[in-house]
Amino acid sequence: MSGHRAATRLAVSGAATAAALVLLARASAAPVPWHAGDVARLRLSWSARPERIEVCRTRSAEEIAKMPEHMRQRTECEGRFASYALRVTVDGQVAGEAEVRGAGLRHDRPIYLLREFPMPAGAHRVRVSFTRRETTDDDAAAFAPVAAAEADTGLYAGRADREAAEHARRARAAVPPRLGLDTTLTFAPRGVALVTFDAVARRLEVRTGPAASPGTP
Amino acid sequence: MSLTPLERAARRLIAALDAAAARVYGWAWNPFHQMGTVAVLMLLVLLATGLYLLLFYRLGAPAESVARIAADPWLGGWVRSLHRYATDLFVIAAALHALRLFAQARSWGPRSLAWVSGLFTLFIGLVCAWTGFVMAWDTFGARLAIEGARLLDILPVFSEPLGRIFSGDGAVPTAFFFVNLFIHIVVPLGLGAGLWLHVSRVERPVLLPPRGLAWAMVGALVVASVVLPASLGPAANPFALPATTPTDLLVAWWLPLSERVTPGVSWGVVGAASLLAVLVPWFTSRPRTGSWTPSTVDPRLCTGCNQCPQDCPWGAITMVARDDDRPTLVARVDPALCVSCGICAGSCAPMGVGPRGLTGRDQLFDIRSRILPAFTPAPAIVAVCCAQAPAAHVAALRARGAHVHAVPCVGNLHSSAIEMFVRSGAPGVIVYGCPPRDCVGREGPKWLRERMFNDREAELQPRVDRDRVAIATSAPGDLAGVLAAYEAFATRTVALARPAAEGDVEVDVECEPVPYEEAAP
Repeated sequence: MSGHRAATRLAVSGAATAAALVLLARASAAPVPWHAGDVARLRLSWSARPERIEVCRTRSAEEIAKMPEHMRQRTECEGRFASYALRVTVDGQVAGEAEVRGAGLRHDRPIYLLREFPMPAGAHRVRVSFTRRETTDDDAAAFAPVAAAEADTGLYAGRADREAAEHARRARAAVPPRLGLDTTLTFAPRGVALVTFDAVARRLEVRTGPAASPGTP
Repeated sequence: MSLTPLERAARRLIAALDAAAARVYGWAWNPFHQMGTVAVLMLLVLLATGLYLLLFYRLGAPAESVARIAADPWLGGWVRSLHRYATDLFVIAAALHALRLFAQARSWGPRSLAWVSGLFTLFIGLVCAWTGFVMAWDTFGARLAIEGARLLDILPVFSEPLGRIFSGDGAVPTAFFFVNLFIHIVVPLGLGAGLWLHVSRVERPVLLPPRGLAWAMVGALVVASVVLPASLGPAANPFALPATTPTDLLVAWWLPLSERVTPGVSWGVVGAASLLAVLVPWFTSRPRTGSWTPSTVDPRLCTGCNQCPQDCPWGAITMVARDDDRPTLVARVDPALCVSCGICAGSCAPMGVGPRGLTGRDQLFDIRSRILPAFTPAPAIVAVCCAQAPAAHVAALRARGAHVHAVPCVGNLHSSAIEMFVRSGAPGVIVYGCPPRDCVGREGPKWLRERMFNDREAELQPRVDRDRVAIATSAPGDLAGVLAAYEAFATRTVALARPAAEGDVEVDVECEPVPYEEAAP
């Protein structure tokens, strides 16, 4: 190959390589649309244990006596886990309604809620209600420690109190029968307002900015 | 070789790419012939750059640590970009490699394992790339993570929906980034296993491109990494809805499509496409008849020289004990491993092995009965062309007066066939093979050269004037090179005395039998 042809080929191959690399870099970072328009979003996201609706009765001394010592619970409860009605209205219009239950086949796992509602940017009256669908005579579970029996001695001393305390702890950990939020939110263009359940304050709250975290710097 | 319409279409595409690259770079530097090895080269680049990046990645602050790496003007910035571009090139190379093998009907039969393991390796590579982008935790990484969670959440695997992790309801847990990093690091072990399977049925696998091309490609990518640094989007923020993300379409081309349909539809498409791809060997399989007949051995002719097992590119031939009283081993072909390339036929001096119709004896019979009669009144230069040679090259050679003799692979051509052409009065024989890394028989051009000029069995006999024999390459897009080689060879043969045609050529083949006692381990 002559020197001139070799130089030409070198130039052409260099230009072709440069063009291929530019194409590679462009394809590697193509600006692909994700969220169209200036639409904002209301996001509902929380995790909470469903309430257990129980009917409890106190076992008689004869019944307890027939049971192995380590199984002698005073109170026998039967029941199921509550389901909830979620209703979201925006500016008086129903944006979404759903029945929410705990996860798992028996619905005994926590409720994992994640719903999103697109809406125009600006101020909107937002109402969220999360209400237990089952009605009971008394929202507070009737469960009180009964008088200690003779068997509650030794290793089992104080068992009735512990049963009551455990029951109360579970009731406190469950989501309240009624949760509500009624507020006016101002949505920035392409902004997200998050409605979540504060397990400590036991109420719904709104967040519009990231929490300090490894993933959301 | 019969091709399906889809294979023909793929072949046209590959030929067009080859032709374009050959015009620009010359066939010897055509990267499209090297896509399998380029993919492996890119894996090595990914391994080296990945180990460096790992030193500076922080699980507790993924976005900041990657931003810090990207901002490092000395090393981190371009190493990260090189890691990214090597990923892209790996995907391109693996996809083109698969397309080439499909176009050349190399996707079925004994090659099925290579096909399926290659797909597995590509799939693992894509999973690895996915987790790599998530590691950066920019808007594109978050987009991939969210879509991944959406797809996984319909599977009954996780007790809590993954999607909630990214909702802003609490910090994205470090455990998520740990698991993601774990997958990103462990999955390449699967790549290694896939690669091992991929080449497990070939002899002398070539894993890397020629050194010059390899350095040129890595160098070009380094330059691109410095001049065009890979993009890094803004850090992910669950409370913002970006209009666009800087998306790597080479890896995540499916993302905008997947987001538009339900997870069930996405899984259905992925499942159907995967099934189709895995079943390609079944769709493209042919009856093992005609040109696809596996090689057989004529034990009466086999001298036990042990050459055909050494030359077989697929490890399909072994030497076993004879069942008669001759004191040598005998070759045996495993039809399940034989791809009918016919290279063994070119290696066998006594012409006792090869696919039916392609053994040395079959070649001589064909030449005697069909071709030599056409030599009268004046024999022409014989141009032996691989069946894969572009039709335009064959036509151009014919137009220049050459007598074209097609063979399935130049590695199949028996040296006695060349001798017969020359002794029958042909001024010369020029053999056009495929580019060495694009041979459907893998090692045809290599063994041809060894047999013609380096005394490899079955060597061209010393009585044949080597000035009347030449080897050239017929690469798509290089018609000028093909014709230049022909003109140069024709000029050379004109200077030689006109050979006298022998009346009834009998080619003696010589081969030293190996006694059983010497050959047996």
